[in-house]
Amino acid sequence: MATTALPGRGYLEDDTPTVWSWVKAWLLTVDHKRIAILYLLSINFFFLLGGLAATVVRIELVTPQGDLLSSDLYNRAFTLHGIIMVFFFLIPVIPAVLGNFLVPLMIGARDLAFPRLNLLSWYLYMAGGIFALSAAVFGGVDTGWTFYTPFSSTYANSNVILTIAGAFIMGFSSIATGLNFIVTIHTMRAPGMTWFRLPLFIWASYATSLIIVLATPVVGITLLLLAIERLWGVGIFDPALGGDPVLFQHLFWFYSHPAVYIMILPGFGVISELIATFSRRRIFGYEFIAFSSMAIALLGFLVWGHHMFVSSQSVYAGLVFSFITMLVAIPSAIKVFNWTATLYKGSISYRTPMLYALGFIGLFVIGGLTGIFLGVVAIDIHVTDTYFVVAHFHYVMVGGTIMAYLGGLHFWWPKMTGRMYNEVWGGISALVIFVGFNMTFFPQFVLGYLGMPRRYHVYPQEFQVLHVLSSSGATVLAIGFIVPIIYLMFSLWKGKPAGNNPWEATGLEWQVSSPPPTHNFTRIPVVTSEAYAFPPEAAERDAASWRPGSPL
Amino acid sequence: MATSKHDTPGDAHGHQEPAHYDGHAHGHISVATYYRVFGALMLLMFLTVGAWWLEGVVAIPRLLGVIVALTIASTKTLLIVLFFMHIKVSSRMSQLYAAASLVGLLMLFIVIMGDYFARGWPPQLGPLP
Ligand code: HEM
Ligand SMILES: [Cu+2]
Repeated sequence: MATTALPGRGYLEDDTPTVWSWVKAWLLTVDHKRIAILYLLSINFFFLLGGLAATVVRIELVTPQGDLLSSDLYNRAFTLHGIIMVFFFLIPVIPAVLGNFLVPLMIGARDLAFPRLNLLSWYLYMAGGIFALSAAVFGGVDTGWTFYTPFSSTYANSNVILTIAGAFIMGFSSIATGLNFIVTIHTMRAPGMTWFRLPLFIWASYATSLIIVLATPVVGITLLLLAIERLWGVGIFDPALGGDPVLFQHLFWFYSHPAVYIMILPGFGVISELIATFSRRRIFGYEFIAFSSMAIALLGFLVWGHHMFVSSQSVYAGLVFSFITMLVAIPSAIKVFNWTATLYKGSISYRTPMLYALGFIGLFVIGGLTGIFLGVVAIDIHVTDTYFVVAHFHYVMVGGTIMAYLGGLHFWWPKMTGRMYNEVWGGISALVIFVGFNMTFFPQFVLGYLGMPRRYHVYPQEFQVLHVLSSSGATVLAIGFIVPIIYLMFSLWKGKPAGNNPWEATGLEWQVSSPPPTHNFTRIPVVTSEAYAFPPEAAERDAASWRPGSPL
Repeated sequence: MATSKHDTPGDAHGHQEPAHYDGHAHGHISVATYYRVFGALMLLMFLTVGAWWLEGVVAIPRLLGVIVALTIASTKTLLIVLFFMHIKVSSRMSQLYAAASLVGLLMLFIVIMGDYFARGWPPQLGPLP
């Protein structure tokens, strides 16, 4: 029950007389919260499409013969999966959905600094998506999401140009969002909201935006160069024309390693919020977590060569990159240690978002540590381009980013929609996802270690057991992703009203009504305390209000 | 559940504007300057073409040619960044961001060139003369 409901209409309400004006009110909105909803719908649509492609890949891999798809079709299937998931889901998802919704609310602002640029970024996202989808419809691409030359520039006989045009346009959408966040966080914090009172999600979003703004132009230009070489035969990557194919890998990974941090850093931010709220404690080592985001943003720019240990990069460069790769693991580990220290003696409640957060910690540790394996040149030479690498990056991207996204979505769902989802189904599907995920991807570590190469659809008989295990895990995982869609939609008309602050969390976003009024704050708040300032008796109140049957 | 008021920071009466961090230092560049910069850019473009033409007629060392071309190109870039992109009259923060992207670019160049030269080329193929 909204005891402190502010006057002013919720951002979801309309008094538009006709359907057409309602559509216009949404498609031309400059409200950051509505744009977040537009992103939520479109990004989740792309997630389902990418999931469909993954399903095709996993079904093919059930048998060793390669009997469902030709090898050429198989190439197109995993490329479609990779491109959609990386460029149209993982990179934008947390900044564009949760970030758009939360950045102004969390810092006490009425909107982002450039609301129209924000709307433009959504249109750019959609335009990029349409390019990539039309490439898929007209026959697809077979280069893999990495577009390596000389295959992509000289030999590939598929819709390379159309696809990279999509990725190129989508890059500008990222840049617009990153720019908007940087300017907003610098200039629009509420009075008293000093840098060290910012929620850690804001620090993480800031560090991410920094990477987006500095790295995305590089991949944009790289893809443009690729198109120029493919269209007009200008020698940039083709050695026959005086180019250097390894140059493409340098330029691509100069963006794409930082891009893996574009995917995971906002997830770190979400997890910090969840861990603090559901332990009822100020996050342990706030400054360390904040600065480790910045350290990751910086160091992340210096390790790209670990993707090129076997690509005829010089041995010397490999050595240096291997060493710096070890360094970048340190700030990631700092975060994990601080989260566990926050849990220590906290008043922990296992609500759905917290289940995702705990799952995240476990899975990210596995993903990160296997990253260290891969960063060691001597080991990487054996397992590069095998399923070991596939398992590694799915542990960080699915086990990390997607778990954080789902945790965050459940946590802020009451704020975004004003309704509570069903906690029982929430808990069940979080567990199903955790089990399904491990079933799918743990066998892939073993497969890779035994020598199963990635991107092949025919494989020796002896690998079948593990592949079948992985495909059946993928089925469980798919169910785990579909169930939340059902109960979250259901909650929109059957969920019980959330009230302003259902989790008794700190943070400015929980002081406004759920859903928030269009202009967020009727009066700009004045901040007088630290982030996560839970009163000492918060834990006792939790314990006192517990009744048998109430969620843990 | 009702919100408990005292555990959330700053539920106070905001009569102030959001903390302004001074986004821009409100510099101004006159139209005359734009035209002068434009003139300089045109001049540099003719220099680029001229240098390319010269390289075709007289035999100058390749390295020298590269250095000349790069110098002209970076001068053009600098002019555009400073005047057309307003970095010259922007806030310290914007200047810092511009410098950061330059540092990023340098990192990219130095490391890639480092790899390129250290790749262990066969004697006749290598990039070094
Ligand atoms: C914690 C520190 C991490 C380390 C030390 C690390 C290390 C590595 C290394 C050495 C490789 C190259 C393996 C090879 O191709 O032979 C690799 C691949 C990869 N990593 Fe990580 N990684 C880390 C975290 C992450 C994170 C957080 C993400 C994403 C959220 C990620 C995503 C990827 C992807 C997508 C690839 C494969 C790219 C491809 O070839 O298609 N990694 N990682
Ligand atoms: Cu990497």
